This record gives sequence, C-alpha cells and structure tokens, in this order.
Amino acid sequence: MKNKLNILNWKPDRSSFPDMGEDGKPVISLDSEKFIKVWQGPNHPGITGNMSLELTISGDEVVESKTHVGYLHRGFEKLFERRRYIQCFPTCIRMCVPEPDTNEYNLARGVEELDGIEVPEMANWLRMIVLEMARLQVLLRMVPGQAGTMGLGLGVQWGMYYRELILDRMEELTGARIYHMYILPGGVRGLLPDGFKQRLEENLVKIEGFLKDIDKLILHNAVFKKRAIGIGHIPKDWVDQYGIVGPVARAAGYQRDVRKDYPYLYYDQIDFDYNIEHDSDMFARFLVRRKDLETTLDILRQIMAKMPDKGEIRAETPNVLHWKIPKGETYVRCESSRGEYGFYMVADGSEFPRRINLRGPSYTHAIAVLEKLLVNANISDVSAIMLSLATCPPEIER
Amino acid sequence: MEALLDRLKTRFGVFDFEQKKTYQSFCSVDKLSLVSLVTYLKATEGFKVLVLISVVDWIEDGKFQITYLLNNPELKTDIGIRTFISRDNEEMESIHDLWEHAPTFQREIREMYGINFPGSPRVDESFLLEGWDDIPPMRREFDTKKYSEDTFFPRPGRKTNDPAEYMKQKLYPDEK
Amino acid sequence: MMIKDILSPFSAWKKVFDKPVVIKDPINDRPGADRYRGFHKNDIETCIGCGTCEDICENEAIDMIPVEGIETKDGDSGLRPSIDYGRCCWCALCVDICTTTSLTLSNAYNWVEEDPEAYRFTPGVDEKPWQNEEKGWKKPEGNYEFYSLNRVSMEHLHPEERSDSFVEMVKGYSKEQAEKEADRCVECGICTATCPAHMGIPEYIKAIRNDDLEEGLRILYDTNPLPEICGRICTHKCETVCSVGHRGDPISIRWLKRYIADQNPSEKYKQILESESLKKNGKKVAIIGSGPAGLSAAYYLALLGYECTIYEKLSQAGGMMRYGIPEYRLPYDQIDKDINYILSLGVKIVYDTTIGKDIMLEQLEKDNDAVFAGTGLHLGRSTRIDGSDHKDVYQSIEMLRKITQGEEVHVAEKIVVIGGGNVAMDITRSLARLQIQKYGKVQIITTSLETEDIMPADVEEVVESREEGATVMPGWAPQHIEIVDGKIKGLHVAQCLSLFDETGNFNPQCNLENTRFFEGDMVVESIGQGMDLSYLSEDIKEQLEMGPRGRIQVNDVFQTSLPWLFLGGDIIQGPDVIHGIANGHIAARGIDRLLSGE
Repeated sequence: MKNKLNILNWKPDRSSFPDMGEDGKPVISLDSEKFIKVWQGPNHPGITGNMSLELTISGDEVVESKTHVGYLHRGFEKLFERRRYIQCFPTCIRMCVPEPDTNEYNLARGVEELDGIEVPEMANWLRMIVLEMARLQVLLRMVPGQAGTMGLGLGVQWGMYYRELILDRMEELTGARIYHMYILPGGVRGLLPDGFKQRLEENLVKIEGFLKDIDKLILHNAVFKKRAIGIGHIPKDWVDQYGIVGPVARAAGYQRDVRKDYPYLYYDQIDFDYNIEHDSDMFARFLVRRKDLETTLDILRQIMAKMPDKGEIRAETPNVLHWKIPKGETYVRCESSRGEYGFYMVADGSEFPRRINLRGPSYTHAIAVLEKLLVNANISDVSAIMLSLATCPPEIER
Repeated sequence: MEALLDRLKTRFGVFDFEQKKTYQSFCSVDKLSLVSLVTYLKATEGFKVLVLISVVDWIEDGKFQITYLLNNPELKTDIGIRTFISRDNEEMESIHDLWEHAPTFQREIREMYGINFPGSPRVDESFLLEGWDDIPPMRREFDTKKYSEDTFFPRPGRKTNDPAEYMKQKLYPDEK
Repeated sequence: MMIKDILSPFSAWKKVFDKPVVIKDPINDRPGADRYRGFHKNDIETCIGCGTCEDICENEAIDMIPVEGIETKDGDSGLRPSIDYGRCCWCALCVDICTTTSLTLSNAYNWVEEDPEAYRFTPGVDEKPWQNEEKGWKKPEGNYEFYSLNRVSMEHLHPEERSDSFVEMVKGYSKEQAEKEADRCVECGICTATCPAHMGIPEYIKAIRNDDLEEGLRILYDTNPLPEICGRICTHKCETVCSVGHRGDPISIRWLKRYIADQNPSEKYKQILESESLKKNGKKVAIIGSGPAGLSAAYYLALLGYECTIYEKLSQAGGMMRYGIPEYRLPYDQIDKDINYILSLGVKIVYDTTIGKDIMLEQLEKDNDAVFAGTGLHLGRSTRIDGSDHKDVYQSIEMLRKITQGEEVHVAEKIVVIGGGNVAMDITRSLARLQIQKYGKVQIITTSLETEDIMPADVEEVVESREEGATVMPGWAPQHIEIVDGKIKGLHVAQCLSLFDETGNFNPQCNLENTRFFEGDMVVESIGQGMDLSYLSEDIKEQLEMGPRGRIQVNDVFQTSLPWLFLGGDIIQGPDVIHGIANGHIAARGIDRLLSGE
C-alpha cells in the first residue's frame, strides 16, 4: 500500500444533492433544471441484451433508476402451453442466448423428474461436459467483458477468439454453435466425436495462457481497479432479501453454488470449491468470475478423466409425439454462469405442459437490485454495474 | 421436513403435503393464511429466500394457483406453498414488505394474469406489455394462435396436405 | 495500488507480433463439423410422405406438397416435405423422427439468394448445391429413438399347449400392452388408404391411447361391423405399409383392433353405438350368404332403415369365417358376438335355405326391392394330377367345413397337403391337431409350388405350423400321386423353377431331374377355390354382363347390369374378409342410392 497514488483515490463530493424530502426520499423535479432524464438502452447496453434504464441524473450522478423491460418478450411461457414436451425443447433454449444449455437441461430434468425417467450414466456425463463448456464460453466473454464496459475492449476481443474455440467443440459435439439443442428430455443427442477430448484439452491449455494475459491486462490494471474497487457495493444483508444468487452472492461471502448445494448430475463426484470473495463490489465479482473460469477448466478436465467412453445416451421414452406427463409439479435448478437458474414445471397429465416458469438470476439482479444499486452511482459506471450483476433481459421477459 | 410439516399443520392448517425430492416439498394452504405462513417461515424457520412466485391457471376448476417457492439456504431445503384463488375474484394479499424482489413478481403476475396485489409498489405499471389492450395474455382463455393470426399476416403461398386425406382424394375419392 | 498495475497492461503490446487468429475465408477454410445442422436434404425415393416431420415441427415450417413424378400409391402419399426457412429453427427434430431416415441435414453453412421466396423449398426436388453432401446431421442410428421400433410381443399358447386342441392360441393384449403398442403409432394415416375398408386406423389407435375404448368401437363400426373377427384373422394389409415398419416392426394394428372389440362387452354395444332405436324406411333387401360381405351389407343397410333378410345355405351364419377358418384362430363365440350384434338391429337370417333350389332368385327379386349376393368361393379346386381322383384325396375347404360342423373326417397317419396359402396352413394345422388326438403324433408334409419367399401364406402361419410339428416344404410342384393296391402311397413332386412365363401368365416350370417323394396315406388339395353360381338361373346369367375369366362385371358400387342385383365379396374381390366387408359397405351405399332415388 505504500506505493499508493493519491490521485487515484480522488472522489467527487456528492454530499449536496439531491435534496432529501421530509419523507426521506429524494426530491426530484425536472423543472428545477438540476436533473435530466437519460435513457440507457434499449439497444444492448453493456453486452447483455435489449433492456433500458430510465436514469434520472444530476450532473453525472444517477439519482434514480427504473428498469424497463419488454423489448425481448416473446411469450415463450405462453407458447409452451400449446407445444408438446419435445417441441418445447427447441423453444426453451431461446430464453438465454449466451448459455442456452441450462434451459435444455432444466427442461429435460423437469420432464424426467415428473415422468420418473432414469437417464443413462453416459448421457449425464455428456450433459455435464456441455454445461461446463457453456459456462466456460460465457465466462470467456464476461470476465474480460467487465473491463470492456469501461472502455477496455481489447480483452473482450481476445476472449471472443477463445470462446470461438469452445464453440468449435460445441459444433462438433452438438451440431450447432449457439443454440445447441443437445440435451433432450431422456438423454442427449450424440456421443463425443473421435479425438474430441484431445482437441478440447488443447483448447483448455490455450485458455490457460489467455488467463495469464487477462491477468496482466485487466486484473493488474490500475484503471480497472480504480473503477471497480468499491463500486457497485452490495451490502451483505441484501443477498437473501433480494434473492441474489450465483457469483454476485459469492462475492458477498455467501457459499451459494447449486452444484454443491443441491448436487445434480455427477457434480458430487467432482472436486471443486466455492469461489468466495468478501468485498461484494464490482472487483470482488470480477475476481469470483475469474476464479470460476479456472474452476471450470479444472472441472472439465475432471469430467473428461472420469467419464466412460461409451454407453447409452438416451433412456427409452414414450413416443415423443404423444408423450403424456403425469400430473405433478417440480422446481428444478442448475448453476448457470450467472447463478441459480430454475424451472418451475407443472404438468396436468396431458401431452402439453400446464406451466413452465423460468426463474433466472436477472429477474432480481436487473430490476430490484440494479434499481437500488444505481442510485448515487456515476453514470459512466452504469453499464459496468449492470454487467457485474450479469443482467440478461431474455430471462426476465421470456 | 416431517417435523416442520407437523408444525405447519397445527398452526396454519396446510394440506396436500407432497415431498418431491429429499430437499423439496410442496403443500397447499388457505388463501387467508398464506401471508402469515410465509412470514412465519421466513422469520422462524429460516426460509429466508424467496425463489419465485408463479401462477398456474386451472381454468377448468375456475381457479388460479399461486405458488410461493421458498428456500432455506442453511438447511438447503425448498418448500413450495400453493394457494388457490377464485378466477372470479382475482386478488391476493401482497408480500412486498417481506422481500425486495417480491413486487417484481407481483407486477408481472398482475400484468400476465390480471391478479391484483393491492399495495404492492408499482403493481399497476406495465411490466413487459406496454400498450397491451387485450385480456391478460397468460390466462388460458387467451388464444395465442388466434391472436397471432389476427395480428400478423401469414406468408402467402403456403399450403399443406394431410397425407391420409390426400391419399383418399387421389386413390378413392368416391367412397364415403 | 501497485506500480505493477500501471505497467502490466502494456504487456498487451507484445501481441502485436503474434500471428493473427482470424480466418480470412471461414466458409471455405473451415467447413462445418460432421454433425453440423445445416440445410435440409431429402432422399425423395425413400421418403414416403408420411408427414411425421410436419407433425413434430414446432414452428409449422413444413408443408406436405405434391411433387411431380411422385405417384400416390399404397404406402406412399405422393407428398413430400417443403420447408419454409423463414420459420425453420434447424432443431432437426424432423430428421430425428423421420420414419424412413430419408430426411437429413447437410453441413453447409451459408445460402445467399436475392429472392426471399427461394427460401421456401422442397429438399431433394429443388436442386441445391448441398444435396449430395455426405456430412451433416443424420438420424443417429442406434443411439436413440423417438418412438419404439419394437412391437409389443403378443402372447401365444406354447406349441405344446396348443397342438392338440382347438383353443384360441393368440391371447390378446392386456391394457398395458395395448397402450404401449398404441403409443408407437405416429398417426401418419398412410395405412388408411391401403385398408380395403379404409378404416380410421390412427383414430382408433388414438382412442386406445386415451383409454376411450367406446370411442374406439364407434370408429371401428364406422367402416367395419365385424371387428372381433377382423381383429383376429384380417390379412392386415395396413401393416405392410405402416411407416413405422420402415425401420422397425409395423404397428400391430390387427391386435389393437381386437383389443378394442374384446374390451367392450356385447351387451353395451347398442348403447355405445347409439343404435337402440333405428327408424325403418319400409324397404326390403334380400342378402344371399351370411359371410363378411353379406353381413356387412346387412349391417349398413339396417342402419339406414332397410329391412334385411339373409339367406344362408348352411345351418349357422358366418360363411367362410366360420366354416373355413379353424377355431384355434377364430373362436366361434367371437363370430357370434359380431353376428349377434348385427342381428340385434333387426336383420333376419333364414338358415338351411339354398337360393336357386329352395327359393328362386326371381322370387327374391319380386319380394324385395334389391338383392345383394356375397356367396363366396366354396368349391375346392383340384390339381388334376394323376391319382387325384382317388377317394383318399380330399379338398381342404370341404374338410374344414366338416370339422366345424363336428362331422367325422378321415385322418390318416401320414398326410400330404398341397398348397401354400393360408387355407393350406389352416388344414395342415387342423389335421395336425386331429392327428395328435388320434395317433399322438404329427406326420404332415405341406408342399407348395411357391418357394418360401413368395408363399402367399402369412409368415407366422408357416412358422406356427412348423412349431406344431408339420413339415412345410415350399417350392415343389406335384407330379402324380402314387397308388399301390388301391391305396395312396405318397406324392411325387419336382422342383419348381418359376411360376409365371414371360407374358405373366400362370405357367409353372419344373426341373424334372430334381424330384422327391413325399410319403402319405392321404392327400389334401388346397390350391384355391372356385365360385358356385348355380343360384343364378340361365335366364339371369344371360342378362348379366360377364368380364374376362368368367367373372361377373360390377360397377363401382358392386351393381351388376341387372340394377336390382348387387354382388360382392370373394366372388368379386379378394379372397379375404376385409375386402368382403368393404364391398358390402359400398354395395349398401349403392343400394341406398338406388332405392332412395338419389
């Protein structure tokens, strides 16, 4: 700390505004000419999708923020009502573009739980490998992306290349690059192609090299630190009160990881730890994701070492054209790169689901948390805070 | 779970208890007891996290099912609480003072199902559907297909044939 | 904050010297992966136009359209999938469910056109650059199936249990088995066209899935008033075109039909089929023969309000179904169940009455508004080889009738049966049972002209005959019957080389060098049946228009050139039960049209 540069610690004095009313709420009158309204979005603010923030600013400080969603509403949950379970599968993935596999997995698992289907071992390992690859490719964008929101786009561009490597593997295994449509109710759609593990391992080695690069570029970067440390601080008691999950909760010191708390697939056979930070600011969240990235590489290697080479990939199910699921309800969850990602599914005994309700992390992060967190933030930090919360509108609107 | 159920049974009269997985169960409770039950679970039983509020439309029974899914992060257990309200009197007590994100759920439900939560902040503001003038679209009587046919135009020139019907026309048109 | 934090980011500059990772021409330099889900291909020769791809498409992107040069025929609708790429999401569920594996995806990445309409195309018909591409998404062979390829096996009595009795050998499906089998159906409806009666097969299978067997029964009776019988002995031509059969076992349509009929008790039929009060229209129709055609015509006419009287030569109704088919395949009580329901609608049967002898056809015409004759093929045909006039040479059709009537038939210790059809198998297996009862062992040789691959008998009939101890020897042409001291010693046969000559006429060619001798004390001939038209007087015969090979000409509603006389069943089409039923149904509509003056 002795090399501390004082200039970096300069903070503007914001004690004078806005005026507080008697009820303890800020008094905001646009006529006072102290405030202006700025709409951030709906064109992809940050990198996360179409959503807009109605910001009231005073100078460069946000005094009030309202989240507006509805630009990506496609009514998937309504559409499910008239689709057979197998037909929901190509639809549900579109509720999250960067990480569609968690949707596939939740749908498949919900159907299997409700219908009592036992998935073959090989299929479960393949599901794990796809889910971890998906997490890896998201984090490869998101970790450098945090600096990208502050104007350091170089890391994002580097990250894109490494993400493409993983997408190549996805294409090989699942037949598609973005919407993989691989995890079917009952199993998966294909075995690993020949030589897949070796090619993936080569990619993982490259990505390890990339991690060193982003450490140099972003982690040890005075500008980034200055703009991340202490910014977007989430008090610890918010976590349960707001339903905060995943890396954001872990950055606040909570041990929250669905993979460890409610083990699914074979995560109980994998050796890994919660990645915890305690400062609960943007930097802590960056560090958690940065560690997650390393953990993911490690988990992928463990999966590859443990999984069998051959085996059944799909359980026998009724004819998918008239597959009736017995009446019942369940909530299934898995850990996405952004945190707990769950499907609440209700079946009514017919061929069509009665209700499939997605609960994504952004549902609270982007609305309740973000609206509060942005108050008194600098307008230039808005998109950085958004990204650090991993807001993703498609999972709010569905 | 069993012990918890007994407590809930005597205090709040929960019924239809179902254990789905080792860490997840569902039960139903009367509409009037719901808020006190949820408050009790949050304050006393450690169900500190509200995972979701969701609605299922049982149009054939004339009921909406509202499910509150709570999670106990220490014991790592879930409890889903169902309550049924009449479709004719679609109003439910709000729990916005218990969790900060509850109003978001309630606002969405208000818009998608038309269920009112009096007192919930911004509950009447449109959430996703700015300018929507039809019935709340997640209700089962809202026909998506019809809406889409009325609102959008189909691509001209598409025509399909049912194989059995087509074979009949071709091979045995006179019969029947 | 360390000084390192200020310097470290500058290390990025050293990347300036790295080789760029960008691929300049990715489309050509980096082809799609082997499994890549690119654009659709369709092998239109293999495709049968079942439309299952259309059913599973969640985006309604697929239309089934007629394609020039593809003919609509049995087992092929003549339609082919056309895909709207404005809607497709390339999930490849259509590929995974394709019943014939004709539909696949190439691994092509890009397709650029100026005309948006071009993106609606018929794979395999419209020329596309990727259509011969080997790589791309295919139905993952052996990995998983969207519907089961394996038929739910039907339980049979074991050969030991059944070979000495005439107890029904096929046990029928249980509820669970039937629902599982019904679940395999993809509801394409290709079978309906092939079924002579055009039964609503996918619909009644759906009724089984929904466990709504009353609805199932209503669907059956729409087109077939003899479901118990057809559910047992139908030749199930539908199953030969079943789209699921292209990759696995066809759906067991016949057994499912039997399941519906079996599960509905006969006393509830009237209520289920809403036939408790039928209005009479005062018109009368006479029906000759109580076989499937006659019963079917009577049923549909009765529903329309006609007063029907069936004249039956023998003492019980059912015709060939009762007298030709052995009891172990079709128990008499099941025949009675179907027939009694038809009789309960007011249909009358006059037994032991031969038209042309007891009552003249002219008399029937006078007393009735129309006459339908479904008199069937009840005369046995002889091989006319040397020795076939011996007293121990029998006709299978007569023997089967006698067995049904409970008459004593001659059963020798060693028997030779000539014939390769289902009737030959019926007599073989009936005689085998009688041999066991009489001698405690089976010694039957059944020989046919046709080799095993082209034998007309159902495969399971042949297999089961063998299980029951009979020797089936296909591919031998009978030459003569050896008779020593007035007793049959056996049958001489020669290897049969071909059945038809170049012009397609029946003209068997034999290799007389390769002969065999089948020992036997009696010979049963079962090489087909002829019709007995003795009930038609010379006067009537003269007025009837005759077609080639001595068949009477009928129009599309089975009306002869005498407007009041309709003919149907085996004498016109067949021979089998389902054609008879279909003919009877159509004739009933024809009669109605004639009499109601429409």
